[in-house]
Amino acid sequence: MVQVKYGLMSCDSHAQLGRDAFTSRMSAGRWGNLIPQVVEVEEAGEKVHRWLLNGQVLAGSVVNCPALMHDRRYYPKRWEEVPSMAYVPAERLKALDEDHVDAEVLFPNTPVQVGTFPVGDVELELACVQAYNDAMAEYAQTSERYIPLALIPYLSPIEVVTAEVERAVRAGHRGILMVAAPEKVKGSKPVTDRFWDPLWATCQELGAPINWHASSGVGIGLPRWKGYDEREAHTASTGHNYMGPCQVLPALLFTGVFDRYPRLNWVLAETGAGWLPHLLERCDHEWERLHLWTEGIATRPSDVFRRQLYVDFWFERSGMELRHAIGVDRIMWESDLPHITTTYPESWAYVERSVEGLPQEDREKLLFRNLMRVYHLN
Amino acid sequence: MRGILSAVDHVQEPPDLWTSRLSATKWAERIPLIETGGDGVERWFVDGQPAAMDGAAPAGALMPDRAKAPLRWEDVPEAAYRPAARLAAMDAAGIEYSVLYPTVAGLGGEAFGRITDPKLELECVRADNDGLIDEWAAASPRFIPQCIVPLFPAETAAAEIERAVARGHKGVIYPAVPMELREVPHINERVYDPIWATCESLGMPLCLRAGSATSIQAPPPADLSPALDLAYRSITGSTSMICVLVNLLVSGILERCPKLNVVFAGSGLGWGAYQFEYTDQQFTANGLLGPGHEHLPSELLRRQCYLTGWYDKAGVESRKFVGSGNILWSANFPLATSTWPSTREYVERAFEGVPDAEREQMLWGNAARLYSL
Repeated sequence: MVQVKYGLMSCDSHAQLGRDAFTSRMSAGRWGNLIPQVVEVEEAGEKVHRWLLNGQVLAGSVVNCPALMHDRRYYPKRWEEVPSMAYVPAERLKALDEDHVDAEVLFPNTPVQVGTFPVGDVELELACVQAYNDAMAEYAQTSERYIPLALIPYLSPIEVVTAEVERAVRAGHRGILMVAAPEKVKGSKPVTDRFWDPLWATCQELGAPINWHASSGVGIGLPRWKGYDEREAHTASTGHNYMGPCQVLPALLFTGVFDRYPRLNWVLAETGAGWLPHLLERCDHEWERLHLWTEGIATRPSDVFRRQLYVDFWFERSGMELRHAIGVDRIMWESDLPHITTTYPESWAYVERSVEGLPQEDREKLLFRNLMRVYHLN
Repeated sequence: MRGILSAVDHVQEPPDLWTSRLSATKWAERIPLIETGGDGVERWFVDGQPAAMDGAAPAGALMPDRAKAPLRWEDVPEAAYRPAARLAAMDAAGIEYSVLYPTVAGLGGEAFGRITDPKLELECVRADNDGLIDEWAAASPRFIPQCIVPLFPAETAAAEIERAVARGHKGVIYPAVPMELREVPHINERVYDPIWATCESLGMPLCLRAGSATSIQAPPPADLSPALDLAYRSITGSTSMICVLVNLLVSGILERCPKLNVVFAGSGLGWGAYQFEYTDQQFTANGLLGPGHEHLPSELLRRQCYLTGWYDKAGVESRKFVGSGNILWSANFPLATSTWPSTREYVERAFEGVPDAEREQMLWGNAARLYSL
């Protein structure tokens, strides 16, 4: 059982699997170079490492871990440059101790694409997902301080999806990561489709929360302006991190998902928290104005969300001051290690600013008690 | 306590607004008009295409069942389209002044931007702008008319703004995402500057309306009931403005036009608290402060941007983060989401415990300053 030594747990961190995580687990005879693997390619006259996914070279760094590099804006070009702390679980514990963090929920890192393997083939997708879930379960066995989340296949029949979730949870996974717009994975269905009901039932039964992460693949927003440099584009896109998920949440509500599965927990990671009072009140307003209880929405929307929804924070003050409008039991903390926005290695400095002046009871809920309850760490 | 200055309400254009002003021989069935379908439902058509509108008029607030828009023009309540009836409705709910947005022309003035013939587009726009002055502004100074503009090029839009303002318009409505309407440059391009500069030099607030751009709203789930579908689109409309506002803060437009005021109509308030903190945080982390970005996003916001509430108690409670000088109030008449006829009661609920000076600012002062009342 995890010990509370520092009193801080992250509900959103990213673990990198080793470069052989897939090649060592998937059949080379069957899948050949369709197996996710690190390859050397030439780029601007330089030999760099990239992930190969579905036989295609992925754009972007071989490992997304700028916060572990000497220059926090640098993305490694070759595997040898990647600090072992990024992908060796025992090494990573040192980062947790350095940052005084007790435990962390592990989301994927490179080459997983917003929680999916966009490979287009049912069998190959399932093989990738199973290899990932096995590798991550093994990673997390290193320490009870790791709380792994399983991925799901999007192209498989629902019985296969639920069987994989059951298998993953038996192996140690504590929840699943999904995209909020599965229909963007060609061949899959919207999150509001009844197709997914057996998955909700399985997760509710297993006590495994559904996790969305940041923009969650909803894919709405302004087209990127070509006049922006990287830093401007990144700043201008901050709204997208929660705009998509906070628009899809009411769709779950209006299609009755929360009513059908009232004990199913839904976690929005890396979306921040301070916007939630808006969503709660906005939904309540339409519920009142349009008498939506006559349309099958029996429970006031804010009551439903406060029953099943969790959000998190990592830098903000606003959400903490507005915590009662959100629900003190609905907020968790995240470090986002080792991504660019992480609070590591000064997490406590950020935390103290965010929760300054809060009663001890509230602090503990936000910093670790809510997380321990959601992921059954007691 | 006096009434409120509602910063967002909608005029339903009457059936003859365009047919009486545009040449039938020249434009025939391309003129915006109402046609009766085989199902007996009367729908608006623009340039021969069905308008994206609920029923003959999205006037849910005036209907016995707010989720059911009138399907025939004769069922549309007069307060939606007749100034005298509107004034009576305003009196009944404590709305003293009303800033006007269109309906058939798009809640955010976007509908004519899809017209591919620029001559027809301009004639439709001008007729709408003229109708608002001739029928509404002429009826009472309590109506604050705002013009719509042809989408592009910016010089044509700027010319119409000047013409409309000379006729008495007090604000400018522009589609939040022009790029989704037809093939035009990204809104951040400098080719749009004549529009922003004209608004700035004439002291006209630029108004971007939530719910007028589908590419920034998640599509409603299939098979929702009409009421749930209506509610869903209304909810997602508000948060769709998040990306529009953040882009504006980073785009450089507000730096280039420091006296331009931008209103985010129908935005709601509560997401601002988080977003402004977040944008500043990322802006700072990315080291953007410097040449080209002389101000923090939150400074630009305080100086030039306005969010609008209409029911938002939690939003008002978060005013410390949004800025009580950057909040406008509204009735959203006559949409289903409107607080009418209980606008007073909603105001009392939302502003309970708010000091008088701040209350006055949000319900009246900020908008009165913007519209030079």
